[in-house]
Amino acid sequence: MTIEQLYEALKNSIVEFKPEEAKQITKKLLEAQIDPLKVLDEILNPTMEEIGEQFDRMDIFLPELMGAAEAMRAATSVLTEHIKKSTITPTEVKGKVVLGTVSGDIHEIGKNIVKIMLEVSGFEVLDLGRDVPSLKFIEKAEEVNADVIALSALMTTTMHSQREVIELLEALGKRNKYLVLIGGNPTTDSWRKEIGADGWAETAVGAAKLVTKMIQEKVR
Amino acid sequence: MGTPPWRINEVLDRAQNGPICLEKDFDFKFLVPELQRVIKEYDICFDKSTPIPSDDSLADSLWKAAMDFYLTVGTLCTDTYRRIIFTENEIKEALGNFPGKYTLGFGRDSREITNRKIEDTRMPFCLFSPDITCDEDLFIPMSMAYLQEPLADGVCAPILDEIEGMPIRSGSPTEVKGSVAHAMMFREAARRVGRPGIFLKSVGTAESDAAQIAASNPEWGERLTDGRFVASISELKVNNSLLNKMVHFHTYGCFVGALMGPILGGFSGGPEGTAIVGLAYHLQGLLVNQAHFLNYFPFHLKYTCNTMRELLWVISMTYQSLARNSNLISLSNGFTAAGPCTSMVLREAAAHSLVSVVSGSNLWEIAVAKNRHKNFATPMEARIACEVGCGAVKEMISRNDANEITLTLLKSYEKDIETAPLGKSFRECYDIRKVKPSPEYTELFNTIRKELKDLGVPFIY
Repeated sequence: MTIEQLYEALKNSIVEFKPEEAKQITKKLLEAQIDPLKVLDEILNPTMEEIGEQFDRMDIFLPELMGAAEAMRAATSVLTEHIKKSTITPTEVKGKVVLGTVSGDIHEIGKNIVKIMLEVSGFEVLDLGRDVPSLKFIEKAEEVNADVIALSALMTTTMHSQREVIELLEALGKRNKYLVLIGGNPTTDSWRKEIGADGWAETAVGAAKLVTKMIQEKVR
Repeated sequence: MGTPPWRINEVLDRAQNGPICLEKDFDFKFLVPELQRVIKEYDICFDKSTPIPSDDSLADSLWKAAMDFYLTVGTLCTDTYRRIIFTENEIKEALGNFPGKYTLGFGRDSREITNRKIEDTRMPFCLFSPDITCDEDLFIPMSMAYLQEPLADGVCAPILDEIEGMPIRSGSPTEVKGSVAHAMMFREAARRVGRPGIFLKSVGTAESDAAQIAASNPEWGERLTDGRFVASISELKVNNSLLNKMVHFHTYGCFVGALMGPILGGFSGGPEGTAIVGLAYHLQGLLVNQAHFLNYFPFHLKYTCNTMRELLWVISMTYQSLARNSNLISLSNGFTAAGPCTSMVLREAAAHSLVSVVSGSNLWEIAVAKNRHKNFATPMEARIACEVGCGAVKEMISRNDANEITLTLLKSYEKDIETAPLGKSFRECYDIRKVKPSPEYTELFNTIRKELKDLGVPFIY
């Protein structure tokens, strides 16, 4: 296979969500002395961006999105291993996000989609799962030195847990250390303002764009 | 006939001792591949030109696909990492012993709910519901507004997210307190409109098992003639808290319902998969949730509504399949994109109820404004839905005729789903003191009702 054919095959392995194939093709590209950062920037990231957009338009559905993300992770893990062993300077992670569905809430489909969109946008995501106690978000953020705490809530009776995390951050004197993003069907921008969160996103793609913007503005 | 409950201890035992399965494996080794297999094997195809198909063989294929799928996949208990699975004979036993009708509520205000068939000439059971949170001071007036609707056979109350100035937090004492207040005030509202025995569906304020249990009291709270609901986790999952509610409701002795909302665009995939998962949810509802009746609200992942053509097809095919192959009782729960006091919401509500009723369901109307805005719901949206639903029965509308009318309705609102108007809140739409709709909304209601009539939409009056 030529390099161009390998590129095409790697793209197809993501689109057809074949993680093992994605791994093998990535290894072949590295054996052919292709720069791993080029594979990431020119093949993997644009492919996942396109898949994310297709999902946003509902041309494809959650199983396809998650399958493609799994294949993307498989390819990325090969690249990361290679970079660690080499002298190449890795692409800087855009930021670390601690993510979870808030205390009392067992819904996590939306949160899982946000996780994928953040990962493909270059963020490292620490997913705490669902029904996460408020303090645990802060403990994890402290442990991994996170940039963002992202809180999902699907119930009107669990939205208040988003406020609780912010109140805890304030009480612990750590509010300014983290950007707090909220989301979930019953939440709105006016709720964000009411509880003093930094950002609210209506969709998963919107969440990834917003976090990127929020971090850029914070750095500036 | 004695189910439900169907062998509660079998379910509890399987939730503890069924085959071990991690959640990721349940989704990707069972649910998604099995769904793709049965869609192909049973040749299930969505046709966007026909939101209400008249193809009985498609309805039967869908049923076979759903049975095959649920027998293979089952339900996951996420706390114990066990799959709860059933044999075909067990499913047939539970279905075969299902009586197909119940009397809900008590005394003069009681009403019968039945399994309905395609193009059935029996009126649907109409449950009126705002399906949304409201300010504490609005709880009684909003409940009364719904309870006084003449077509309401049963009512579900709004949800409280504050009690005596305190925010209600799930799993906290405020939730227990709010849930008890919810049950008490709802009964007070029913008595104040002169319908003390009407079937009440409660307690939406109680998300946790503890708060649900706290509201059970025949003197001041939830009665044995009322209905309580057990939800699911998407898709086809339960946990110990949900099973706790089921056991409590059955041992208390009230009616038990199952809340089932398969997500189009989520693990269910497209319309075909969503309809199959919807039917599997009905089997889960009977066997795991042990429900006497089911509340069904398939919805769109992105727009959180179910009035677009893909979802109207899902609703129609699920009910046609159920009606031809089971005696189960199910209520079709509309979710609109637009909010109160808009012409769009009235058209969406009409389409939802028309599709549902001719396909064989009862009505649960209606969550509006993408089900996300506090205080944004009024009985006017439910009223138009139920007037159309009952009108379709009275006029003996066929699936074919209903399909044509639905296509006309879709043309009027489908393009606006994404940017649907929020409309106005209950406070803006109703005179709270007199519990009467505003002149503005009454006029709009009458105008759109006339427009719909001219389009051929059936009405009861």
